[in-house]
Amino acid sequence: MNQFPHGWGRPRDDVYGAYDSSYLNSTEPVSHTQRPIVTGTSVLGVKFNGGVIIAADNIASYGSLARYDNVERLLQVGTHTVVGAGGDISDMQYLHLLLDNLLIKEQYPADDHALLAPQVHTYISRVLYQRRNKFDPLWNSILTAGADPKTSEPFLSYVDLRGTTYTAPALATGYGAHLAVPILRRHVPDEEACASLSQEDAEKLVEECMKVLWYRDARSGVKYSWAVVTKDGVTTGNNKIENQSWKFAEMIKGYGAQNV
Amino acid sequence: MTSIGTGYDLSNSVFSPDGRNFQVEYAQKAVENGPTTIGLRCKDGVILACEKLITSKLLVPGSNKRISTVDRHIGIATSGLIPDGKHFINRARDEAISWRRNFKDSVPIASLADRMGSYAQAYTLYSSVRPFGVTAIVAGADNDGPGLYMIEPSGLYWGYFGAATGKGRQAAKSEIEKLNLSELTLLQGIKEAARIIYVAHDDNKDKEFEIEMTWVTKDAKTANAAVTGSRGMIWNGWVHEEVPKELLEEAAREAKKAVEEEDEEDDDAKGEEKMDEDL
Amino acid sequence: MASQYMLPHVQQPPSFHSTASQPRQHQWSPYTENGGVILGIAGKDYVIIAGDTRSSEGYSINTRTARKIFDVGSGIVLGVVGMSADGEELARKVARRIDDYKRNHDKHITVNAAAVMLSRILYAKRFFPYYCQPLLGGLDEDGVGAIYTYDYVGSFEREASRAFGAAASLITPFLDNQINLKNQFVPGTNGDEPRKPGDLPMDRVEKIVKDAFTSAVERHIEVGDGLQLVRVTRPPPREAMEDEEEVDEREKTAGGGVLTEVMSELKKD
Repeated sequence: MNQFPHGWGRPRDDVYGAYDSSYLNSTEPVSHTQRPIVTGTSVLGVKFNGGVIIAADNIASYGSLARYDNVERLLQVGTHTVVGAGGDISDMQYLHLLLDNLLIKEQYPADDHALLAPQVHTYISRVLYQRRNKFDPLWNSILTAGADPKTSEPFLSYVDLRGTTYTAPALATGYGAHLAVPILRRHVPDEEACASLSQEDAEKLVEECMKVLWYRDARSGVKYSWAVVTKDGVTTGNNKIENQSWKFAEMIKGYGAQNV
Repeated sequence: MTSIGTGYDLSNSVFSPDGRNFQVEYAQKAVENGPTTIGLRCKDGVILACEKLITSKLLVPGSNKRISTVDRHIGIATSGLIPDGKHFINRARDEAISWRRNFKDSVPIASLADRMGSYAQAYTLYSSVRPFGVTAIVAGADNDGPGLYMIEPSGLYWGYFGAATGKGRQAAKSEIEKLNLSELTLLQGIKEAARIIYVAHDDNKDKEFEIEMTWVTKDAKTANAAVTGSRGMIWNGWVHEEVPKELLEEAAREAKKAVEEEDEEDDDAKGEEKMDEDL
Repeated sequence: MASQYMLPHVQQPPSFHSTASQPRQHQWSPYTENGGVILGIAGKDYVIIAGDTRSSEGYSINTRTARKIFDVGSGIVLGVVGMSADGEELARKVARRIDDYKRNHDKHITVNAAAVMLSRILYAKRFFPYYCQPLLGGLDEDGVGAIYTYDYVGSFEREASRAFGAAASLITPFLDNQINLKNQFVPGTNGDEPRKPGDLPMDRVEKIVKDAFTSAVERHIEVGDGLQLVRVTRPPPREAMEDEEEVDEREKTAGGGVLTEVMSELKKD
């Protein structure tokens, strides 16, 4: 097992052998051991002119088994925020409960104040950092996407199980950090590039990246959810990878059915 | 209250020989002087309304709310001692959150009313505490549709079509009884609620007042934006929110007019009688 | 205790030997390492603290725009390198404590007092340390530049210059030579008379800082993308500040020094 998000649920021990952590052995007793059980894979997010798009597939894996195929990993939080989670699904659901309660408490004063993406991101990052300080991490890597209802300013940020946070024009968790981010960065290397990326192009870009992940990430699914946040609020939808071509597989030994 | 001064009214948890808990009865007295507060269970939702006397010109209009959001789908109005009401609301909020933690579901109105009834009742049992000086009207909606409950200081609670408490409760109740609540819609209901608050208002004693009014609705057009952003969360689709300002103002305007006209008619009738006598 | 946890740079690829018969052991590590380098130089009336803006994890670049230098208030800057989550937490805590100090005592904390405070904050977590190396800078009570450097658990000293982080080992000898003038001799003395380190002008130091980073970028994969340079300088004399608002603003926000931040580009490959 690998503690990086992209290592979750793989490699398969029966193929590669168990993770050799003998060099880590300390003389002290181990007090906390934890690992993710049912996991979700990558989440993608890209800022564009006037908003942000976020996507995650609907698979929840049990190791290498695609255990559930209709899991929603994007959660709308308030009017202008969507939170997408990779990693342990039960920890994600617990986090959803915390966010739910946060929103309800925000509702009590009945004023005009509303939580926006930066606040939601900070809240999640504090929860995750505090849990890592307790040696009892919430095993997730999370993207928070949002847009300011007044200025349209898009917001996109990452936080993971150690409380590490960062923000960028395009982000991806897990395998997506390796496969999708290089593609995304080619289109949006910096904030200026985001400002000249249309929503339509951003949607196409995400579609393309989800397809690459479907081809190359064995824990990904063919169905995925997406959400777009602009100053007008959140629109969501579901998509399926279309126009697949597995022709390349014939050329690769060990990929498809071969007689050699 | 013939038993006052016999010593049986000094402590909770002590009955008088004729089987009364005086502390509870005194608590009810505290409510009887509270602001007129009503609840109407309509066909498509629930309305809470409260007559808020303007005790000082220095108060900001709309401040010092007496109706609180307890969960997305529940509101509670309290009449009586304000701090007691605040504590009661806090407890209701905790109950609602605990329910969703335990059952991953919005608390049903009957369940919340039951829990809060038990909570209020527990404050009638011990000498170390006093009962709540409030009556709470619980409004909400769940899978069984709209629900309305009123919890009294004794812990007694019933479900109602329409409920009234506070100073003007008698007048309000007789007005509510005239309504056909199982057919009334929210939009009609807010007008009735405003009118009832005006009718129950005692012109002679109190002058200025404002109406605080909320409803529990499923209408996406008016529903509070912050709450509708909770798709995918534990939420049954009903929203407790303030009645939109324009609707409330219109209802209040019409109510005021109707009550004034009625007064004039009364005056006219009296005048005619007088003329008859003269003749 | 820190050594008990796995740090990312010692991570190995999965073993291909079958070890299925052995019991599986896995210890989660609360630590990670986000790369980058910071650098601080103190002059006679200024301080410069600079850092690159790349944040990475393993071979992945997380973002190219992460700041490592923080304005913690009262004219004091804090640079942190190591695990960014711990570094940012530390910066928040220091900023909060400096703010508390001002509210409690109605005056700005001195940089030397802040330096001791930071040491205490680090030592308070002696048995679960912040995994970051902090570098505190500001002007002392005499208006002289001060850099305080720390280890993970709070040992500290005042120094004239210091580099911390991924490419510290690359930059340190460069600073030895260029700031402290090690191995430099007065021309014409045939290597007999060493040059004495003296007060370098700030613009000269800024050039050295930029050279240090551009060189580090060439040789270290975790360094690059952008350069964040923060100066702490003495405020202009009061009569020179014509703008009344500017005076007010400085009284409110700055202690001994005034902060200016300059962002510039570094190579992104």
